[in-house]
Amino acid sequence: MTRGITVQLNRVSKSFGDFTAVKDLSLTVRAGRVFGLLGPNGAGKTTTIRMIVNITAPDSGKIELFGGQINAALQDRIGYLPEERGLYRRMKVVDQLRFFAELKNVHGKNVEAKIDEWLARVKLSEWKYKRSMELSKGMQQKIQFLTAVLHDPDLLILDEPFSGLDPINVELLKEIVLDLKRAGKTIIFSTHQMEVAEKICDDICLLNRSQKVFAGSLREIKSSFGRNSVAVRCEGGDGVLDDPALVSKLVRHADEAQALLAEGADAQVLLRRLIDSGAKIGRFEMVEPSLNDIFITKVTENA
Amino acid sequence: MRKFLAVLKREYIQRVRARMFIVSTILLPLVMSLFGIVPAVILSIDAGGPMRVAVVDQTGKIYTRLEQELVSDEQQPTDQSEPMRTGPDMPGRAFLLQQVAAVGPDAGEQRQQLEARLRNKEIDGYLILPPDFMRHGKAEFFNNNPGDVLTRRILQQALNRAVREQRLIEAKVDSETRQGLFQPVEMQSVKIGASGEERDSGGSFILVFGVGFIMYLAILMYGQIILGAVIEEKETRIAEILFSSVKPFTLMMGKLVGVSLVALTQLAIWATAFSAFALYGVNLLESRGLKASIPGIPFAHYVYFALFFLLGYFIYATIYALVGSMVTTTQEGGQLAMPIILILVVSFYLFLPVSRSPDSSFSFWVSMIPFSAPVAMLVRIVTQTPPFWQIALSLLIGFATVVSIMWIASRIYRVGMLMYGKRASIPEALRWARQA
Repeated sequence: MTRGITVQLNRVSKSFGDFTAVKDLSLTVRAGRVFGLLGPNGAGKTTTIRMIVNITAPDSGKIELFGGQINAALQDRIGYLPEERGLYRRMKVVDQLRFFAELKNVHGKNVEAKIDEWLARVKLSEWKYKRSMELSKGMQQKIQFLTAVLHDPDLLILDEPFSGLDPINVELLKEIVLDLKRAGKTIIFSTHQMEVAEKICDDICLLNRSQKVFAGSLREIKSSFGRNSVAVRCEGGDGVLDDPALVSKLVRHADEAQALLAEGADAQVLLRRLIDSGAKIGRFEMVEPSLNDIFITKVTENA
Repeated sequence: MRKFLAVLKREYIQRVRARMFIVSTILLPLVMSLFGIVPAVILSIDAGGPMRVAVVDQTGKIYTRLEQELVSDEQQPTDQSEPMRTGPDMPGRAFLLQQVAAVGPDAGEQRQQLEARLRNKEIDGYLILPPDFMRHGKAEFFNNNPGDVLTRRILQQALNRAVREQRLIEAKVDSETRQGLFQPVEMQSVKIGASGEERDSGGSFILVFGVGFIMYLAILMYGQIILGAVIEEKETRIAEILFSSVKPFTLMMGKLVGVSLVALTQLAIWATAFSAFALYGVNLLESRGLKASIPGIPFAHYVYFALFFLLGYFIYATIYALVGSMVTTTQEGGQLAMPIILILVVSFYLFLPVSRSPDSSFSFWVSMIPFSAPVAMLVRIVTQTPPFWQIALSLLIGFATVVSIMWIASRIYRVGMLMYGKRASIPEALRWARQA
C-alpha cells in the first residue's frame, strides 16, 4: 500500500449511452481519513463509487486502489454498503452474514465469533437466528451495515448509510465509523445529508452534474469561505435583520436565526443597530458557514 | 472458485431446507402411488356380492360352457382378438348362474315369472338364449341396472367364447386344433448391429423416451425456479452488494449449478422411490406367474443417458437464466419463458423422424443442434450408434452453448443492474451484452 493514499482517481470519465455520469474526475482519498463524497441526487456519486469497487469500468482515466490497479482480489479489501441494498428475506441473520463473509474470502471458525461480536455491537444479538423478513427496517439496515464491515476491510464505502434510521441508531453507526477510522481504516462516505457529513468527514469532494465542484479538507474549505455568518438569538429587532444593506440572507430556525452578512457590512454595525432597536440579545456569534450553506451556494453558483 | 462454491452452497442449502421442497419431494411419490393404487382398489370393491343371473338356455348347449368360462377363467387375461380395456386387475362383479329350464318355444309366461323374481330381488338379471342363438348370435339380457357396463361386457365376452367353442365343436374341430387356433402371437424385436451382433434395443428405446420425458419434466419444474433464483437478487436489491465481491458470471454459474443440484437431489429421491415401487411391482407380477423383467441395457448407454440428460437439462436451464437476466420480476419472466417450452416440445417430437432414419443427414444435424441434440443423439445411440466423434462433438457443442449463454446472461444481468430495474428489450439486451 502506498503510504497515505488509498484511492486515486485520475481524469476518470464514464457515460451510459448519451448520458455522462462522471466527467473528467480526479480525486485523492487519503488513508485513515473519512472522505465525504457529496452532491445532489444524480451528481455521479454512485457511479464513481461503482468504479472504485470494480462493478463497472471507467470509459477513460485511471483508478488506483491501495497503490495498484484495481482487480478482483482487491475487492476483498473493500467493504461496500450500496444505496440499493437488501437482504435475503428467508435467510437467517447468521447464515446471511456468513455468506457475505465467504464472498469476501473470509472462511473458518472465527467468522462465527466475529458475527457474535458485531451483532452485540449493534445490539441485535438475540436476532441471530431470526429470518431477516422478521426484522424491522432499521434492524435490517444495521445487518446490511454489518455485511460491509464483517470482513474487516481496509476501505469502507458507505452510500447514504444513515437514511431512514432513527437518531439513536444513527449515533450508534456513526460511533462505529469513527472507531474504524481510529483503527486506521479509510472511509468513503457518500451522502447528500450535509449535517451528517459535516460531523464526521475530514475531507470532502463536492460533485455536481457529473463534475467536481471542489475538493479538499473540510477545515480548509470552511475557512476559505470566511466567517461572514452570524448566529443571532434575540427578541425584537426584526427590522434590523431584514435590512438588505446589512444582511444578504436570513435563515430563521425555531428560536435562532442565521444571518449571512451583506458584502461590505460589518458585524459590529449590525450588533449596534440591534441594541439601538431595543432588541434583547441572547446570542450573537460569528460562525463558520455550514456545509449546507456552502453546498447550496456552490451548487446554485454552478448552475 | 471459493466464491462460486459459496454461492452454490447458499443456493442449495436454502432451497433444500425450504418447506416447499420437503413437502413436494415426499408428496409426489405418494400422490403417484395413490393414483396407481386407488382406482384398482375402488374397482375391486365388491359392493353387492356376486351377480345372480338366471339363464334360460333354449339351445340347450351353451349353459355349461358359459358357466365354465365365467367361473374357471375368471382371472385369466381376456380374449386376445378382442382386447378388453379393463384388464385382468379390474374385475367386474362375480357371477352366480342358475339354469332355468326352458319351457317350450314361447317363453312369454316364463318371462313374466323371471321378471317377478327380478322385482323381488331374488335375481339381478336374466339371460335368454333363443333356440336359433347358435346361428344368429342374438341373446337378450334383462337386468335392473343397465348402467353396469363392465359386468355386461364380461358376460358378453364369456358368452362369445362359449359360442365360439361350441361352433368349433360342431364343425368337428378337435380340441388341440382349437387351442392352437387361439394361441396369441409373439413378436420379438431383434437389432442387427454394425458388427453383426444381435441385441434387443426395445428396452433402451423405452429408456430414451423416459430420459427425454424426465428431462422435459425437470425443465418444466426447475426452469421457473432458476428464473426466480436469477431474479431474486434484483427483487431483494442484493445484486449490487454481491457484485462488489463476486463476478456476475461466477454468481450466475453458482446459482445455476446450485439449483440444478437441488433438482438432481429431488429427482434422485423420486427415482429411488420409483425403482423401489417398480421392483415391488415386478415381484408382485412374478408371484402371480406373469413374466416381467427389467430390460437389459449396455453399460455405455447408461453413461450416455446421464450425459445427455444433464446436457439437455442445462441447455434449457441456461435459457431460463438468460430470460431471468433480462427481466425484473418473476411474472415478466414467466411470459418471456413461454417460447422456451415450445422449442422444448418441438425438439422432443423430433425423436420420431430420427428414430425412423437415424443415419440420415437430417438426423445428424438435428443431433448437433444444441436444443434438439440430447434426445436426437440418444435415439441415434440406441438405434444405430453413430461414430464416437459425433457423440463427442454433440456434447462439446452443447457444453459450449451452455457456457456462452451463461456468459451473455451475466453481462446482460450486470448492465441491467446498473440501469436500475429497467426491463431489457431484446435489442437492448444484445447491446448490453456487447458493451458491458
